[in-house]
Amino acid sequence: MSTPTVQVPYLNISDPSFAMQSEELRAAREQSWYARTNYGIAVLRYDEVSKLLKSPKLSQGSAKWPAHNGVHGGLFYDWWTKNLLVLEGEDHHRIRRLLNPAFSPRLIKDLVPRFQVLANELIDSFIDKGECEFIRDFAEPYATRVLTILLGIPESEWPTIARLASTVGLALGVTFKQDLDKVDAAVAELYEYAEGLIKDRQANPGEDFVSRLVLANRDGDRLSDEELRNALVLLIFGGMDTTRNQLGLAMQSFMHNPEQWELLAERPDLGGKAVEEVMRINPTVTWVTREAVEDFTYQDLFIEKGTTVHLFTQSSGTDPKAFPNPEMDLLGEHAPHYGFGGGVHHCLGHFVARADMSEALPLLASRIAQPYLTGGDEWLPDSGNTGPIRLPIGFTKRS
Amino acid sequence: MKTIDVDRTLCDNHGQCAIAAPDVFRMNADGELEYEATFDDALLDEVEEAIDVCPVQAIFLKD
Repeated sequence: MSTPTVQVPYLNISDPSFAMQSEELRAAREQSWYARTNYGIAVLRYDEVSKLLKSPKLSQGSAKWPAHNGVHGGLFYDWWTKNLLVLEGEDHHRIRRLLNPAFSPRLIKDLVPRFQVLANELIDSFIDKGECEFIRDFAEPYATRVLTILLGIPESEWPTIARLASTVGLALGVTFKQDLDKVDAAVAELYEYAEGLIKDRQANPGEDFVSRLVLANRDGDRLSDEELRNALVLLIFGGMDTTRNQLGLAMQSFMHNPEQWELLAERPDLGGKAVEEVMRINPTVTWVTREAVEDFTYQDLFIEKGTTVHLFTQSSGTDPKAFPNPEMDLLGEHAPHYGFGGGVHHCLGHFVARADMSEALPLLASRIAQPYLTGGDEWLPDSGNTGPIRLPIGFTKRS
Repeated sequence: MKTIDVDRTLCDNHGQCAIAAPDVFRMNADGELEYEATFDDALLDEVEEAIDVCPVQAIFLKD
């Protein structure tokens, strides 16, 4: 990299105490559009995150994740290296084209009444107690049962799906190497699950989501059984933890902004705006990683091929240069956030996530008033995908 | 004949349209969208898919 002409801040992003919403990070963002880190550079401001996230000079940086953690083989490794998250170029585009139609917003809309029934059923289970553990009692069952609805499997099987998704999720954590056997065993179980589903829909195709994937073809090209299986595992892997965490973070943000919660209770039509605002100021995916595919210069910085570039989503979404009033405001007009990533790797399932969360939040707001922390909350670290592990809350039941 | 209209105030240059309908939409070397407003009827399915997948729903068909 070139010699910087201004003092460039340094962030130790592997430090367990590193916090995205900290004075350290705000000061760094004020000082410079990027920071050096213990591995690669971190982009801190909105305009630069927006530009670099979609730059053809950067590719997805996660392909080497297993190798970085000393993992060079096994079921997870094989799956990871063939999944849409890490594929590039035409290999990526071909799979994405075949998957896209099943994720169409028009088809997702048909599931909205079921999301509403599910949200109300879960709220019913704790509303009279005046308290709940929000992750255990709402966010996790909601996020997972949405997946079972999408996959067309009995909703009663959600605990299995939740357990498997969480176990595979360990692969993204710092203890990946130690957890490898557990992770591989969970991938094997998910494979079996997915293969069973595929066989069933091949024999009895319907109008459902998995049938659409089974029948998907474009110009005579189809997904092989293996590609289909890998995609279903990705859906479970990518769709459960993220939505659970994001709902937990939404509750946290609204507890900090009680007047916005009241507004949402009165205006359920703001459910979509609520999701966008929460993901702008408090996203579960706090950064997105890319890697330079060639040498290039961006603004004053020479970026060498192979450099890791972290795009900080939360920092960009609260950048005062792009958001003069960065506080949550459901009635404000704000530029789009990058909580779903962006560019060719933009989250495939975002219409599902947006649809299910934009139903859940106003239903919660319309039934519980003044939610507050009762203590005992536990949190994932701020790096990577964050959110509450436990979120005990108290509230007043609305009449 | 239908023509394509991209609302440039919404377009965020994610490039999903260029994946869905590469015969009509492409991203240039700066990562910015270029497209033809008119297209062959045979490409209508592709174009409709591009409209569907746009993350910010910025693509419209006009008569």
